[in-house]
Amino acid sequence: MEPVIIRMASLCRHYEMGEQIVKALDSIDMEFRRNDYAAIMGPSGSGKSTLMNIIGCLDTPTSGIYELNGINVAEMDDDELARVRNREIGFVFQTFNLLPRMNCLKNVELPLIYSGVPPEERKERAEQALLSVGLGDRILHKPAELSGGQIQRVAIARALVNRPSIILADEPTGNLDTATSHDIMDMFGKLSDLGNTIILITHEEDIARFTRRIIRLRDGRIESDEKQ
Amino acid sequence: MNGNLQQFRYETAESLKIALFQISSNKIRSFLTALGVIIGIVSITMMGTAINGIDMGFEKSLSMIGYDVIYIQKSSWSTMGEWWRYRNRPDLKTEYAARINRIIADNPDTELLIAVPQMSTYQATASYKDRVLEQIFSLGTNHEYLKTASGDLASGRFFTPGESAGSEMVCVVGDDIASGLFPNENALGKSISLKNRKFRIVGVFKKQGKFLGLFSFDNQVIMPLGAFEKVYGRNMFVTIRVKIRDQARIAEAKEELLGLMRRIRRIAPGKEEDFSINEQKAFKSQLDPIKNGIAAAGIFITGMSLFVGAIGIMNITFVSVRERTREIGLRKALGAKRRTILLQFLIESVMICLLGGVVGLVTALSITFVIEKAIPDFPVQFSFTLVLASLGVSVLTGIISGLAPAVNASKLDPADSLRYE
Ligand SMILES: Nc1ncnc2c1ncn2[C@@H]1O[C@H](COP(=O)(O)OP(=O)(O)OP(=O)(O)O)[C@@H](O)[C@H]1O
Ligand SMILES: [Mg+2]
Repeated sequence: MEPVIIRMASLCRHYEMGEQIVKALDSIDMEFRRNDYAAIMGPSGSGKSTLMNIIGCLDTPTSGIYELNGINVAEMDDDELARVRNREIGFVFQTFNLLPRMNCLKNVELPLIYSGVPPEERKERAEQALLSVGLGDRILHKPAELSGGQIQRVAIARALVNRPSIILADEPTGNLDTATSHDIMDMFGKLSDLGNTIILITHEEDIARFTRRIIRLRDGRIESDEKQ
Repeated sequence: MNGNLQQFRYETAESLKIALFQISSNKIRSFLTALGVIIGIVSITMMGTAINGIDMGFEKSLSMIGYDVIYIQKSSWSTMGEWWRYRNRPDLKTEYAARINRIIADNPDTELLIAVPQMSTYQATASYKDRVLEQIFSLGTNHEYLKTASGDLASGRFFTPGESAGSEMVCVVGDDIASGLFPNENALGKSISLKNRKFRIVGVFKKQGKFLGLFSFDNQVIMPLGAFEKVYGRNMFVTIRVKIRDQARIAEAKEELLGLMRRIRRIAPGKEEDFSINEQKAFKSQLDPIKNGIAAAGIFITGMSLFVGAIGIMNITFVSVRERTREIGLRKALGAKRRTILLQFLIESVMICLLGGVVGLVTALSITFVIEKAIPDFPVQFSFTLVLASLGVSVLTGIISGLAPAVNASKLDPADSLRYE
């Protein structure tokens, strides 16, 4: 068995909205092992993005335990969290979040700047990453000059560029045609074979089928968690 | 640790790039923001320039007079304008110089070197043919005058001991006199008229320049004392110029001279002396109120504009942080630490201030340049210290005004920021 790298125990994430408490995540118990390849599914508002944010150390649980590589994230300070996000996690956001005034190359280089990679190597690795998502010919384009699918691939390249052990993707194929979607999923598959942990959110059953595990959320709770 | 340092360097380089990009893509906004700093820097440099200039001009004039010369006169320089206090004092006599010289010759421990008599008037008029110069400074002295004064001769010579003793009608003139009366010819050897007496020019001084028209050594005519008395009479203003041995021991020298003069004037112990011993330091303190006034006005304007400028920059940086909340969230999500974000916004506000400072300096320099061209005698003096001080003040303003928004930005929660619309 591969080692457990992510462990959640009675993890809750509640939002206080005035009088009301929104239980975006409610008592989650779950583990991910090295080279897990999992899809998180569930209706809109079921807490998928919230869960991803917590796994990606962007957000912290209101209660419960979240351990990453055996370390309780609640005990890390801001800078340690930043380091973990930079080195361990590659994030593909639901809304991509590219910097609109920078070209693709600069966008993809960003995580490398924050891990102290020298400029030449930065450029080389960013080019490599763009090449691997099939955007070798769009390196100097700005996001506004790209199609939705291309933007999404730039976001994926940025998530991969620092060779993180965990890749989190919030609907990475939402804007892609079937052929490109399948290419991307194949790429994730290969990465997981190399030992990466990949967790993605999707609405599409046939995308989820590329993975080896499907977790279904409803109202902030795990409805089902099946290996396939 | 080395890797950490390297990372810090890359982050800083990135922040610099972002700041430059940010400023250049919001040119007008950046300019308006920096306006307060620009005005502040212009006023601080203009103030410093003016004060420097006054000091420089004064130094220059004072070094013309000579630091190691003290003057016995009827009235005191440090209480100028209170002429009524000295009205009843008896006039000084030029003979004192010779008596002082005799006394110090017998005293091996004296602090004094030589005393030279001088009689003068500011109301002299010189003419040559149909050219007339009015309000010139006419001065009678002896051949040792140059030991107590600065001034190099451009041509000719100073008058000799023989000419001095014989009260011959010769004179040495300043550059303004030479060029005023002899615009197209050589003044040397020509005879000029003072009160209908002919004086032969034996020497011409090099131009020394003047300071705000206060002191000019270029419009004086110097002649033997006896000749001066023949022209202007014996009742003119007398100064005894005394050169001292050591500039550093000026207080002791003054003390010695005071005792000496009391003996000569036979002033009983305990009675106030009826003459004054002046040194040029007294002049300097007369300018202090002017300098203080300029400094106060300058500091006030600078302070106000920097204050307003700082608030403007703080405001714009807050706006900038808000506009770029998503970007901050993203950078944090990708691994930017608190200090990275803090530095990014600090660098931005410092850079705006620094650019403002540079623009201010260039403006001030141009103004200085124009003034120098328009009014050559106006004292302006731009200094390197002033440049450094201005840039320092700019950076400080940037840090102070950028700190609060930058800290704010650095504390933003990444998840919240990424959702920000
Ligand atoms: N910052 C917040 N403040 C208040 N409520 C929030 C906040 N973030 C999320 N929520 C609430 O938490 C719940 C889960 O939101 P989440 O974004 O995780 O849903 P999701 O499963 O990703 O939905 P979608 O498929 O539409 O992206 C929602 O009801 C949402 O309104
Ligand atoms: Mg979502």
